[in-house]
Amino acid sequence: MAGPELLLDSSIRLWVVLPIVFITFFVGVLRHYVTQLIHNEKKVDLQQVSDSQVLLHSRILRENGKYLPKQSFAMRKHYFNNPETGFFKKVKRKVIPKNPMTDTSMLTDMMKGNLTNVLPMILIGGWINWAFSGFVTTKVPFPLTLRFKPMLQRGIELISLDASWVSSASWYFLNVFGLRSMYTLILGQDNGADQSRIMQSQMTGAAMAMSPDPNKAFKSEWEALEIVEHKWALENVEEELVCQDLNFRGLFKAEVQVSVD
Amino acid sequence: MLSVSEMLKMRDKLRKWREENYRNSEQIVDVGEELLNEHASKLGDDIWIIYEQVMIAALDCSRDDLAWSCLQELKRQFPDSHRVKRLAGMRLEALERYEDANKLYDSILQDDPTNTAARKRKISILRAQGKSSEAIRELNEYLEQFVGDQEAWHELSELYINEHDYAKAAFCLEELMMTNPHNHLYCEQYAEVKYTQGGLENLELARKYFAQALKLNNRNMRALFGLYMSASHIAASPKVSAKVKKDNMKYGAWAASQISRAYQMAGRGKKENKCSVKAVEEMLESMQITMS
Repeated sequence: MAGPELLLDSSIRLWVVLPIVFITFFVGVLRHYVTQLIHNEKKVDLQQVSDSQVLLHSRILRENGKYLPKQSFAMRKHYFNNPETGFFKKVKRKVIPKNPMTDTSMLTDMMKGNLTNVLPMILIGGWINWAFSGFVTTKVPFPLTLRFKPMLQRGIELISLDASWVSSASWYFLNVFGLRSMYTLILGQDNGADQSRIMQSQMTGAAMAMSPDPNKAFKSEWEALEIVEHKWALENVEEELVCQDLNFRGLFKAEVQVSVD
Repeated sequence: MLSVSEMLKMRDKLRKWREENYRNSEQIVDVGEELLNEHASKLGDDIWIIYEQVMIAALDCSRDDLAWSCLQELKRQFPDSHRVKRLAGMRLEALERYEDANKLYDSILQDDPTNTAARKRKISILRAQGKSSEAIRELNEYLEQFVGDQEAWHELSELYINEHDYAKAAFCLEELMMTNPHNHLYCEQYAEVKYTQGGLENLELARKYFAQALKLNNRNMRALFGLYMSASHIAASPKVSAKVKKDNMKYGAWAASQISRAYQMAGRGKKENKCSVKAVEEMLESMQITMS
């Protein structure tokens, strides 16, 4: 523990903390609408749709196959995995690797994404740094180590100041991530203002329509299906049913009266 | 003239019917027509989807005037939309102008080959014209590409049942059961198809799936009757071993007792209770399958 408790001027609260919250929020809402305006319809390929549905089908077979009779399950598994004529073995899709630099549609998408999300963040972050620098804005409720000081206390060169006291720029970044749930509340799910989700998808790099490699996906589905065994869930269903009593009490009374009248 | 609160109630009712896929077309037409004529301005953006809902209901009730006016409004607002084009095609179908409807759907598909709605409408045209074998063929092709479309699987199973091709109908129902393992109705329909197919193995499967349907929903009377029938059928067959016979008679007896209990409970407090219970017992006796 270090440092005495600082008492901040209440006008900081009025003129710095609240304005930053509002600015972040309204810029987010604005970004959402701009994204909707310049977003263009994604053209889906019939082949891709069909492939993704087939993969889904195979996955469901793996998960719920135990409700089907043994023969039906075997028939379907055979359809997919048969060494000569099985779907996953036979169908090889021609894959044109989509190079992000040359593929025009992906390029424009990326550019638009950058424009609407990263650019405002940089601009506003910089402006806040310039406008609201030189003083401490708020204190985070948990203690931080000294390594965080240069990151969170830009513009405040005080060696003895506790690392918990942060500047307005870090308050801005806190807001960007914190207001995510507010956006979900007001704009509904899947909104364009949700930056962190976009950053996440950029990091994992997974394209949406699974176009990169259906062949790989097929191969992994094939392996997964090979090892699945059929354990019939209905083996003892009658025994279980007969042991218990179908509880009809209270279920029928009102219904019959309604239907007769 | 309705007050605002009544209007809101009507709007919510329409929404509920829309979301739960009710097909009470006459009610929708009544409620919707009034809502659209009196309160169009207060509905806001909801109005377009209400137009669509009312239009489909109007086609069901052969109210072509109402359907035409709804279509005009939608065309004015969304001039290039495939969804509106599909509605125009549906109206042509309702007027039995199948050639024109087909041409319209083909143009939609040329524009957008992945549009499932247009393809399904084309198949329903074939069905309306009574060409069930062609409809089956088209539906099979459709399902090859869109394996996950459950409506289509169900439609195909119905078509196969009409053609008495029970094996293929069972296949379709298996698909549905696989994707919706908790839906007792699919289990029960599958069991019925298996029972109709006949043969000892199929009867056993039918019994198992009736039991599964009951497990999923213990109010399913049809499954209970099915269980009773399939169990007694197996028990009466000459080729089974004694143990299987005994088991099945146990199941059959249990099912019969549950049925009578259910009818007793249902008739509680009504005067005709005693006669209906007796009727049920007699019915159960007459349904016994004997070897003769």
